[in-house]
Amino acid sequence: MTASMQTFLVLDDEPLIAMDLKYAFEDLDLHAVSAPDNEEALACIAKHDISGAILDVSLGGGETCQPTASELARRSIPFLLHTGDLDRVGERLRDIEAPVVAKPRPSDDVVKQLLAMIE
Amino acid sequence: MADQDHWNARAGELRSSGQAHRAFDERSEGSDPFDGATGLLFEQAMAQTRMAVCLTDPNQTDDPIIFCNKAFQKLTGYESSEIVGRNCRFLQGPDTDQDQVAKIRDAIHEESVAVVELLNYRKDGSSFWNTLHLGPIYDEDGKLRYFFGSQWDVTDIHQSRAEERHAKAMAREVSHRLKNVFAVIGGIVNITGRSMDARDVSRKINERVQALGRSYEPTLDDAALGTIHVGQAIRSVLSPYDPEGDRFVFTGNGVRTEPNAISAIGLTLHELATNATKYGALSSKEGVVEVSWKHTKDRLGRNSLEIDWKERGGPRVPAAPASDAGGTGFDIADTLLSHAHGVLEKHWEEDGLRAQIILPIANR
Repeated sequence: MTASMQTFLVLDDEPLIAMDLKYAFEDLDLHAVSAPDNEEALACIAKHDISGAILDVSLGGGETCQPTASELARRSIPFLLHTGDLDRVGERLRDIEAPVVAKPRPSDDVVKQLLAMIE
Repeated sequence: MADQDHWNARAGELRSSGQAHRAFDERSEGSDPFDGATGLLFEQAMAQTRMAVCLTDPNQTDDPIIFCNKAFQKLTGYESSEIVGRNCRFLQGPDTDQDQVAKIRDAIHEESVAVVELLNYRKDGSSFWNTLHLGPIYDEDGKLRYFFGSQWDVTDIHQSRAEERHAKAMAREVSHRLKNVFAVIGGIVNITGRSMDARDVSRKINERVQALGRSYEPTLDDAALGTIHVGQAIRSVLSPYDPEGDRFVFTGNGVRTEPNAISAIGLTLHELATNATKYGALSSKEGVVEVSWKHTKDRLGRNSLEIDWKERGGPRVPAAPASDAGGTGFDIADTLLSHAHGVLEKHWEEDGLRAQIILPIANR
């Protein structure tokens, strides 16, 4: 298993959710990095070889995960959208093809869904 | 007034669509039915009705207005002399929806009755929402004679619709935030459980908290109504146990219930689903659970909500499975339900668990 080589990205402006998801990766002996905004997320993508990502859609202050999603899509890195705002996701991210997981959902479920996409 | 003389002269021979006539009928109560009405009565009705009315003549170039009543003048701010002779489009303005205008054109073209809602403008430039009913009027020979238009100012209805939209947007925002709060609570519970080496406990707590959160999702999205759509709450609670969407068979109608009944129902269903995942129909590949709900009377004749749960296709269950150490989820379900004077009955039938939740509810 090459799991220990992989790095995953968690983008969420809420630190407790980001931390919980990071731990859920660690429970599976997977390494994850987290970012609270697009700027850091894009830096993470540049720096690490990201295998997959979990993106919160609304990042506060009207910011969405659009820039990060576009960059991941450009690099063909699988990701899913993790959001409590199902109604407006469609409007904001209609162009991005990614599964949506509705918040709240246990963190290990969210991670499992992402891993299932990668397999 | 010349227009009204014209009207009187024609009144006897007018024949109109039923819809167009209704406004007059309402105003002529206590007297003879419309057919026997004299021109005078007709004129009084036209003068007194609060409904703005006009007639146009499609046989003249550009279908001009040939008559309008006082209410029409009051509504639009124009004098009769400024109105008669012009096509109705002079009431339109920059924000008038051209799709609605097209509907008017079509109705005139097809000589049909139509109701459209459009933004019109008064003489002073102010705008109002106008519900326009229009329809053809034929003479005794069946020849198209006039078009009838009645205008109704529905600006206040538009206003309340805007408020309703605003309320819905607010409800959505609250719903979004609350989902986030539940997600954060989940994070706190998990992180605490990890740090205290109590993951199994934290997982159980979390599952119940999240089930509770899901139970309330439909309420939040639908907050204005004040009651919860039972079927939506049930689907929402059970959705994580059925990722493929093929393990639950739902049967029920649009029953609604009080929000405070939902926590007991949500958590009970969560325990049933958890049990089914461990021991029952959801532990095997083919098993399904039939879930149905309806309003009924309980044994004491109270209005109740009845939810039936039937598992089949799972492993054979000879008897009730041994309960988890440290109290089963069913204990919690029983406690919550009994507090609300409800019951959970379980029968371990050979092909799977059959359970029934009965909960008295206020009649809504």
